[in-house]
Amino acid sequence: MNTKTLDIAASRPVAKKPLSLPVHIYLLVVRSLTSLLRTPEALLPPIAISIFFLVIYQSTLGKAAGFIPGIGGSYLGFILPLSIVSGSLSGSGIAAQNLVRDIERGYFDKLLLTPVHRAALLLAPILAGAVILGVQAAIVVAVGLLLGLQPATGFLGLLAVVGLGVLLGIGFAGFTVSAALGSGSAAATQGASFLFFPLTFLAPTFVPLALLSGWLEVAAKLNPITYVLEAMRALLNKGWDGNAISTSILACLALAVAMYALAVFALSVRTRRN
Amino acid sequence: MKDREIVVENLVKSYPGKVKVTAVDGVNFRVDEGKIFGFLGPNGAGKSTTIKILTTLALPTSGRALVGGFDVVNQATEVRRVAGVALQEIGIDPLMKSMELLVLQGRLFGASKSAATARAKELLELVQLSNAVNRQASTYSGGMRRRLDLAMALVHQPKILFLDEPTTGLDPISRRDVWGEVRRLNRELGITIFLTTQYLEEADELADTVAIIVAGQIAAEGSPAKLKAAMGKESINLIFDTPELAEKGRSTLEHTGDRLQLDRETVRLYLSKAAGSIPTVVTQLQNAGLAPISLTLTQPTLDDVFLQVTGQRLVATEVAQLKSTRSNRRVEVNK
Repeated sequence: MNTKTLDIAASRPVAKKPLSLPVHIYLLVVRSLTSLLRTPEALLPPIAISIFFLVIYQSTLGKAAGFIPGIGGSYLGFILPLSIVSGSLSGSGIAAQNLVRDIERGYFDKLLLTPVHRAALLLAPILAGAVILGVQAAIVVAVGLLLGLQPATGFLGLLAVVGLGVLLGIGFAGFTVSAALGSGSAAATQGASFLFFPLTFLAPTFVPLALLSGWLEVAAKLNPITYVLEAMRALLNKGWDGNAISTSILACLALAVAMYALAVFALSVRTRRN
Repeated sequence: MKDREIVVENLVKSYPGKVKVTAVDGVNFRVDEGKIFGFLGPNGAGKSTTIKILTTLALPTSGRALVGGFDVVNQATEVRRVAGVALQEIGIDPLMKSMELLVLQGRLFGASKSAATARAKELLELVQLSNAVNRQASTYSGGMRRRLDLAMALVHQPKILFLDEPTTGLDPISRRDVWGEVRRLNRELGITIFLTTQYLEEADELADTVAIIVAGQIAAEGSPAKLKAAMGKESINLIFDTPELAEKGRSTLEHTGDRLQLDRETVRLYLSKAAGSIPTVVTQLQNAGLAPISLTLTQPTLDDVFLQVTGQRLVATEVAQLKSTRSNRRVEVNK
């Protein structure tokens, strides 16, 4: 072998020290978002569906809402949180679909062959999904304002509503990402995002929590969505309710932590060298 | 210099289950620094399993493998640093542009943004994709994607490069391109290359050493020239109308020449002085009332080596296998 060419090859800069976890997460989030934004056809349906339901609920039930006690403000302020929450649900699958594609196309293996932090492989799709959800929730809120929404807590309250929607979505995304890693199949991942759908209705979906009774009341009290809806409704119709907000944040964090643990397990199964 | 060598000792990989499958069954070989090693075998012979073990994507059941002096089981991180890998399935996100993919890959290996960008430019030039930098990989041809995948494998300046069937599914021109690239990487940068292939021509063309793997075991190993020389003999090839006629031809010529092989309609007769024996062969066939549709004289090829070693002809099955593997490949990779 020609040693001279060898020297040239060796003299090129090779970094030995791996970058830190936040940098890896940042790089992979940017990658996921770049890839996601190049398929806008996957991003638009969840937004369209959220807006569709918002308009439908408002037009069909808005007038009848006066008969339901405990709405405590405008019906729009009561139902808009539902639209955001269902958006968080349907949108949480987007990032996982992107991950499944990486697995199917072998790109995930290519990433595994680098010294990338394993946690970054999990957090990047979840956080990229969160960014998409944030934009989506902001659009729904904007449509709400066009329909005449008058938030009790002003602009900051609207930001809090969007933030809660994103936080809830992170938990759901942890679940769909686990499904993606566990199954490696697009169909199974799609199916997993539907699993959460009934949860939307095991909650004070159309009437306040006080009007629920029996098993539905029990289910609703165990459902993190309940606390998110309550807090969002308080922000839009009543005012700053520290108790409702902290409870909802805790509920979201509990869900997110549990789902992240599931995702860690799913990743360890996927990357097990067998 | 150890950091460019591959040493494999008694490597075994079996999958437990109702029927225990042993994909790799006691494989031994060694790839010296700066050499191109061709791992040749039909589908399912254990080529991909071996490459997955050597690149840390799978664990061996028993045995030992050192890549660049590092143990593939206990020093996986070090192996990943010295080895570059281009798997059979091209591992790129087609929605991304080549520059973006290469820079990201470089940064994940620890390079700064500017170093990763400089390296990406250099690699795009090397694989001749400089004029397609700002296009999504989905617009690339099969050959271009393969070259991009090759560039991805080279981002961290590996000392050893693993290529799993680098030209399967490529048209002949793209195949030549990839061959040229592989040779250049080997000669100009001194990279040791381990490549698996189903194509004899490819192994013959590129490899310094060829190992033929059949059913998880190495059936023959040596330089292409040595393997061919070991065959020793020229041959007379006779093609008949039907396999039945070929069988008759085989029994007629049983005592002529040193060795006979029958493969469907073809009879191969190995002799030391093939040309001089043609009149004898023709007379014998005429006496038996047989008329072959073709009679040719050949020097031994790797194909002959393969046929002798495995009892099957690789080329004949290739087309059928290509058809069946196209649909199966994705499933295989996901396992």
